[in-house]
Amino acid sequence: MSRVNDVGGMSGFPAVIEEPDEPPFHSDWEAHVFALNGALIRRGVYNLDEFRDAQERLPVQEYLAASYYERWFAAITTLLREKGVVAGEELELPDEH
Amino acid sequence: MSDDHGSSVISAQVRHVESLLESRGLLDAGEIDTRIDEFLAGGSPANGARIVARAWVDPGFAERLLADANSAIREVGLSMAGGLQEQRLKVVANTEGEHNVVVCTLCSCYPIALLGPSPSWYKSEAYRSRVVRDPRGVLAEFGLELPAGTSIAVWDASAESRYMVLPRRPDGTEGLAEDELAARVTRKGLIGTAAV
Amino acid sequence: MSTDRFAPGVRVRTRTTDPAGHTRLPRYARGAVGVLVEQAGRHPLADDRARGVPADPQPVWHVRFAAADLFGAGDHTVTVELWQEYLTPIEEAP
Repeated sequence: MSRVNDVGGMSGFPAVIEEPDEPPFHSDWEAHVFALNGALIRRGVYNLDEFRDAQERLPVQEYLAASYYERWFAAITTLLREKGVVAGEELELPDEH
Repeated sequence: MSDDHGSSVISAQVRHVESLLESRGLLDAGEIDTRIDEFLAGGSPANGARIVARAWVDPGFAERLLADANSAIREVGLSMAGGLQEQRLKVVANTEGEHNVVVCTLCSCYPIALLGPSPSWYKSEAYRSRVVRDPRGVLAEFGLELPAGTSIAVWDASAESRYMVLPRRPDGTEGLAEDELAARVTRKGLIGTAAV
Repeated sequence: MSTDRFAPGVRVRTRTTDPAGHTRLPRYARGAVGVLVEQAGRHPLADDRARGVPADPQPVWHVRFAAADLFGAGDHTVTVELWQEYLTPIEEAP
């Protein structure tokens, strides 16, 4: 079924905005998410297509509200859960209880 | 979700996942920092600029670059093998009659191992949705007004190749050295949203 | 015969259906007619890899479309990179 990522030719998006002198990453955590994904793919925990698929399967409203690397992190945690690497409750921050 | 509080929450979540994975032996201590440092030291638009400048001064190199970019870029000490696996690089050359522009409509495919992280606009829905349908209008928003007689070829990076545009050499640069030419090349020129 | 069905210059129609899972045929290029430009290597189908299904490598092609055929307007071309399995050659009339 058509997915939220498949936007080529779609109407309704605004003019393109450029960010002058944009840094490679906007926060340290973005760089960590980038590197974490590479590490997990190299180890064979999941492959790049499974990673793209996991982003595309995010609830549409969550997907649209999230930033680029927030989508990445959501896909990573989805796959870690689905692959049985971690249990869902382990992903919650200890100090949230 | 991206305000300071949200940023500190997700920072903590990312650190938490990293420590979970370290405890399971799926991540080595310090591995993430090493990867970030290596990545930031490796890919850069300057790599693409070097390739372009060489192609401008060496027609034989330009020919090899367009026929088999992966082999040709090794001549200038670069490779597409720096990422998860070696990827095929497809270089497309602008001519007097045709301008090329690259997009990934399905996600954000880009030769990051070679050129570094892509700009946010390249990853935006605004760019990805519109440039396939109205490239002339989108390029005009970037300040690139193409002559009406110039045709536009849009390349959608929808599979395994990664793309780079070979811009046309600007007029009046006949006397410049290769490194001076490279300094003229911008990241947008390598994507196709600028002339050079 | 079968090896010649896909070659540069051959006209192809893309798959018309909308599959349930991950795919790399953009919807704007679904059911469209384009021309094979050049082979872009051989790779297992991304749709299968995303499902964890073993898949043999198959040719991937740069396929060029006229914008007017995709969007009803536009004088540009769009070249999409598509797995051979997404494509059916159009037999030319004798």
